[in-house]
Amino acid sequence: MAFNYDSYLRLEKMPTLWCWGCGDGVILKAFIRAVDKMGISKDDMCVVSGIGCSGRFSSYVDFNTIHTTHGRTVAYATGVKLANPTKHVVCVAGDGDALAIGGNHTIHGCRRNIDITMIVIQNFIYGLTNSQTSPTTPKGMWTVTQKAGNIDPTFDGCELAIASGASFVGRENVTQPRKLEKLFIQALEHRGFAYVEALSNCHINLGRKNKMASAMQNLDWIDDITVTKKKYDAMTPEEQLNLLPTGILKQDKEADEYCDMYAEIIKVHQGDRKKITQDDFEKKI
Amino acid sequence: MSSIMNAPENTAVWVDTVRCKACDICVDACPAGVLSMQQEPASTLGAMISVIAPEACIGCNECELTCPDFAIFVASKKEFKFAKLTDSAKERQEAIVNNQYRLPVDYKESN
Repeated sequence: MAFNYDSYLRLEKMPTLWCWGCGDGVILKAFIRAVDKMGISKDDMCVVSGIGCSGRFSSYVDFNTIHTTHGRTVAYATGVKLANPTKHVVCVAGDGDALAIGGNHTIHGCRRNIDITMIVIQNFIYGLTNSQTSPTTPKGMWTVTQKAGNIDPTFDGCELAIASGASFVGRENVTQPRKLEKLFIQALEHRGFAYVEALSNCHINLGRKNKMASAMQNLDWIDDITVTKKKYDAMTPEEQLNLLPTGILKQDKEADEYCDMYAEIIKVHQGDRKKITQDDFEKKI
Repeated sequence: MSSIMNAPENTAVWVDTVRCKACDICVDACPAGVLSMQQEPASTLGAMISVIAPEACIGCNECELTCPDFAIFVASKKEFKFAKLTDSAKERQEAIVNNQYRLPVDYKESN
């Protein structure tokens, strides 16, 4: 007896197109286990993915899926969610997809706090197109577009999501599949925008010129730059430098959810209530 | 299709060689030296996963959890009686990892 992933996969697409040792597969497995543990029916789940290696995510899972345009996962998912408020909608995007070309959509998805789970697979590079600098590439690393070393400041997607108003923000390391699975369950259970950053390896395109050409070396590096939120909070600012906290970074269960508010708009148009005014909100500006 | 897969009889760990891409992650993750890569000219990377010491498997599930390619499976602890972690298993694991994830040809168990 073992867990049968095949019941959630499109078997004609197997084996996956990802490189050997790619963390995307581990994240996909953790996600499937999370969905199975929660007992969500395959028909009640919609996975929306963008462009990039992470875009393959929606091709492999046997849910309702959309493979959308570059960076527009949240825009498509917002439409799907508003039309089907009772279903689970999950966006999957890479760091380039979610934070570079789709940065604007990510910000406004977070701001609306619509009940979408957004999984950002963060591998610190544009992997699919062969090693261009992404917003999350650490300073000083070799990339195809910055061969003398990356000088662009590094973006922290979780900080962005917290500041933009996402009500659930979490980060986990791909070397901790059990914790990743737990975080996915918490994110799927949360009502509101859940931003989950899964740190993944790209030893092929990030590692090959940055002294971590095997999956194990790259995963060890990810282990070295992450600490749990509890340990991170106990550190001094000097110690926190160059480290990323993992776990749940923010959870606000009280924030207004967008589908609930939209239901009120529907009521106005159906004549069931008066127009929405500023008095309906506690926080006005 | 159900989300539970029936295990082959009396098997601790089994692999789907069609899906394996020989990334070495499971061999690195195994604490008991159960897995090793073996030469396989037909594979893209020239290697293929092989279960070399199934009797040493402790059922920790690490290989299954860390495999990105849905290629390796471990029996449930309810169904299969797994071994305890021994020193010779640990030594074998170290030898495999130090020899580029392949069991050294001349490897001999110390006891």
